[in-house]
Parts: sequence; C-alpha cells; structure tokens
Amino acid sequence: MNILKAIQQNSIGYSEKIAFKSEDRSITYGELWEQSDQLAAYLLKQSSQAKSPIIVYGHMKPEVLISFLGSVKSGHPYIPVDVSIPFERINKIIESSQAEFLIATEDMSCEMFSKHPIKIIKEMELKKLLVDDAEKSSSKHWVQGNDNFYIIYTSGSTGNPKGVQISANNLSSFVDWMLVDFPIEREQTFLNQAPFSFDLSVMDLYPSLCSGGTLFAVTKEMIANPKVLFEGLSQSDIEVWTSTPSFAQLCLMEPSFRQELLPNLRTFLFCGEILPVNLAKQLQKRFPNARIFNLYGPTEATVAITKLEITKEIADSHTVLPIGHCKQDTELLVVDENGAPVAEGEKGELIILGPSVSKGYLGSPELTEKSFGIMNNKQAYTTGDAGYKKGGLYYYLGRLDFQVKVHGYRMELEEIEYSIAQSNYVKSCIVEPVYREEKVDYLTAYIVTNEHSFEKEYQLTAALRKELSNLLPAYMIPRKFTYLDQLPMTANGKVDRKLLATGVLA
Amino acid sequence: MEKQDVYDLLAEVCQDDVVKEELDMDIFEAGLLDSFGTITLLVEIEERFGISVPITEFNREEWNTPNKIAKELADRA
Repeated sequence: MNILKAIQQNSIGYSEKIAFKSEDRSITYGELWEQSDQLAAYLLKQSSQAKSPIIVYGHMKPEVLISFLGSVKSGHPYIPVDVSIPFERINKIIESSQAEFLIATEDMSCEMFSKHPIKIIKEMELKKLLVDDAEKSSSKHWVQGNDNFYIIYTSGSTGNPKGVQISANNLSSFVDWMLVDFPIEREQTFLNQAPFSFDLSVMDLYPSLCSGGTLFAVTKEMIANPKVLFEGLSQSDIEVWTSTPSFAQLCLMEPSFRQELLPNLRTFLFCGEILPVNLAKQLQKRFPNARIFNLYGPTEATVAITKLEITKEIADSHTVLPIGHCKQDTELLVVDENGAPVAEGEKGELIILGPSVSKGYLGSPELTEKSFGIMNNKQAYTTGDAGYKKGGLYYYLGRLDFQVKVHGYRMELEEIEYSIAQSNYVKSCIVEPVYREEKVDYLTAYIVTNEHSFEKEYQLTAALRKELSNLLPAYMIPRKFTYLDQLPMTANGKVDRKLLATGVLA
Repeated sequence: MEKQDVYDLLAEVCQDDVVKEELDMDIFEAGLLDSFGTITLLVEIEERFGISVPITEFNREEWNTPNKIAKELADRA
C-alpha cells in the first residue's frame, strides 16, 4: 500500500471525518491533508537540501500529525521528538541527524540549539503558515520506495542515541500486514497511547489513517491524572486498543475498566514488552467481546513482525506467552554464536530478514554494519534478542546484551551509566534492572562517589537526579540510588553485575 | 495504621528514605514516583492497610506529599 495515497483517498472520501482527537482538539481528514500540503509547499521553497531530515517536536497535538505528513509530502523524513526528551538529548539528535529543520509544535526555548545551523519553525510561525493559501503540493515530491519516511531515535550503548531509518517500503510492509492479518475494519477508533517518539505509536497511527479511522490520543497529562483519563476513555468509544502491557496494567487498577466502559472494544494489540499471562487473563475476563494479540518486533524491523492471538486456551496452557508467528513476507531465524541455525526448541539469537527491516542507523556505518546485512538476498537485522521456536511458535527469552525495556521504553543500561558518570560526584557506576513478575519493575544505580559535601545520601540523590534530568528522559532515570564504597569485581576483574542483581549489597 | 507505617511504605515504593524526612516534598516533582510507581503504591496500600483507593481518586494535587498521603489514608481508614 502507498501510505500517502491511502491517506489522500481518505481525505477525499471522509473529508469531514475526525482523523485525530487529543483532549479538546481534533482535526479532520480534509484539514489534515490540506494543512500538510501547505506545510509541504513551504518546506519545498525553504529547503536547500533534498531528503534532509526534519525534527518534529511536540506531544500529541494535531500539528504534530500535520508536520509528519508535511515533511514526507515534501520528500523529507521526519524525526519525532516528544516533549519528554530533554534539550541536551535533542542537541545530540540534531548533531547526529544533520536535520535541516526543527518544527516546534509547542512553545519551546530554541536558543539551546543556536550552535547548529538548523532552521527552526516556531509554534506561532507554523500556525500562520498553515492558514496561508499556498499552492497544492504535488505527489511527485512525496517520499517513496527506499527513501526514509521517518527516523526514530533510540538509546545507544555509547551514550549517544542512534537513529533507526524506516523507509516508505518498510512502513508499507508493516501497514499491509496490520490491515490484512488483524481484525481491523474501516473507520474504527484507535487508542493512541504511546508518544510518537516511541515506534509503538506507528502501530495505531498509520493503520488508522490508512483505513479511515479516528485516533483517540491519551496524553501524558491524562495518564498523570487517572480521573481525567477515565472520563476521556468513557467518551472515546475505542474499538482498537494499542498500548504497552504496562499501560493496560495501570488501567486495570480502575474497577470500571471493563467492557461496559468501552462497549465496542474488539481488539487489543500489545507490543513493546513482554505480555504477562495474568494480564491477558484479567483482560479476557473484563472484556469478553475483545480479542487479544501479542506482538513482537524491534524498531529496526518497523514496529513488529510476529503476532499471536491470545485465546483462553493459549493463556491457560502457557506460563510465558509465545510471540507467535512471523509475518508472511518476513523470515525469523534462530541462530547460534556462529550464525548457524539451531534445531527447533533450542535457544539462540533472533535474526529478522525481510522488507520491513531498516537500512540501518543514520550516519553510523559502523553500528549499522554490526547489526545489519544481506542474508538470503534480503535485508537482515541481528536483533540481540534471545529466543526459540517450538511447535511452530516463536518465544522470546530476553536480551543478550545490556538493553532493557522498562514499561515498554527501550534503553541501554550503558547509556544511563555513561550519563551518571558525567557527574562530578560520581567515580563509577553500574545500573541494574530489578524484576517483578517477568518484567523490569525499576532500575537501580549502584554508585561509588567522589568526595562531596552532602550530609545525607538522599540529598546527593536529589542532586544527581537533577543533573540527570538534563541528559535523559525521565523514564531512563533509575528509581533507586545505592551508594557503595566500591563496585564488586569478579575474579577476572570485571564488575560483578550478577552479585549486584541479587541485591545482597543493597 | 500509624503515620510512620505510611512513610515506611512510601520509602519502600519510592526506594528512597528521603520521604521519611521531608514530609512535605512533592514526590512526583522530585521524580520519586511516576504512574507505574503509583500502581505499586496502591496495591501495597490495599494489601497492608486494607484500604482500597480507586486510581481515579488518586490525583496528584491531593496525593503528592508524604504528609498528604498519610492524611488521605487516615481519612479512609
């Protein structure tokens, strides 16, 4: 499917229909198409670099969608940057991506970025140019084929975030699969819970826009205030629920979260972290009319590549849910350390081959070469995920390195350690996940300090948290800070992470 | 349920003893508790004190400091 063509058709067929709704604001298909045309025309005039990336900063506003479409209609990929991302990190993204424009859909102080040659379109300017009567943009400029459609930045182990490039072809492969292999019908209402800088959001954004659906956004303000969240949900009439399992877990804390609240909810789509069996069972009880799907995939292979419907039988017969079957145009291999396929039932590393696999990390040929390549004539990504196949189903076993998912957010422990070590108070540091019922509950930082003048440990912790909040999004900051005289070492001189993880020193 | 029990529970959930000493600090602003930590807190409140607080009644204006949380719980005990 040509994504833009499909949205264009909906803008004609359903021009008055609401495409996106967020708190008290909404935008129709007609407005979305017309205003993104105006932005595209402006970008075509102002841009001096074909295909240069455009950073879109904001949180779940109609202008964010307009900016995404305006970028790709003028031949530029967009980089979604949520308001939860601190300025220091945005600076790194600007540097690494060489983005030509930054579109600020929210008020932001842009002086921070003055050391870069980036052209900034501020909130007020954007508003003005969207009501301008510019000429229509032409489809000949649209992003297409192997050109980048979006670039999503994800945590990198060296301390710098890395940009995963997703082409129009990659995205088409994903959206085609969603619309064919899942019970998604035309004109349904989709939950949009994940911020756009997190690729889980792509699972509702394009399937909805391509099928004439309406996106119902849950903002971070709503999540922080569950009363408002549930008032919103009760008015939403959501039919397709896309979220992390953690977000559904949060909603289950409210007794009224059941079929009566969302009578037309028919489909749950979960991705981004392990779906616990208990969560699936609770949802089956509360939402008897809905079907539940567990999906798996890294950002590097465009959101997700495997799925399994979690029926009562599957939930009752498993303690750990399988990730299911691979989508038809894609191959999933399980290999040993030498890259040779292992026998069924044996554990190995997962390798993904197929048309939704990214071309690699933007501006990082070394990192790209490490994980991407051509196998069986297909683009292949070596995931770093461990898994196995049994009875025709794939199972996920966790990471082979120091990447973790906390409530669906992907991060490299080494990047957090690197950021903590920037502080003058810190001599050395290790960050370890703490698990609860299969999932990471929170992170603990084990720190050996330099001399400091704080009387109490909590004062030091507060100072460190403050420093970190300038470098990392809040979800990457450890919940617990533990101070040690020295980090425990193994016999061969490495930090003994296992000993830290057992918590005997804490 | 004594006030101190509430502070102890908070310190466990937040993983930081500061909440036992700075009773008027905003634990959300300080980054000690987020939406997911809130779930843990409400589950523990129900298990330990037998008080069930629906998440829709938990708003950050009334439940943001150790003192206010202790008061809210005392009102419901």
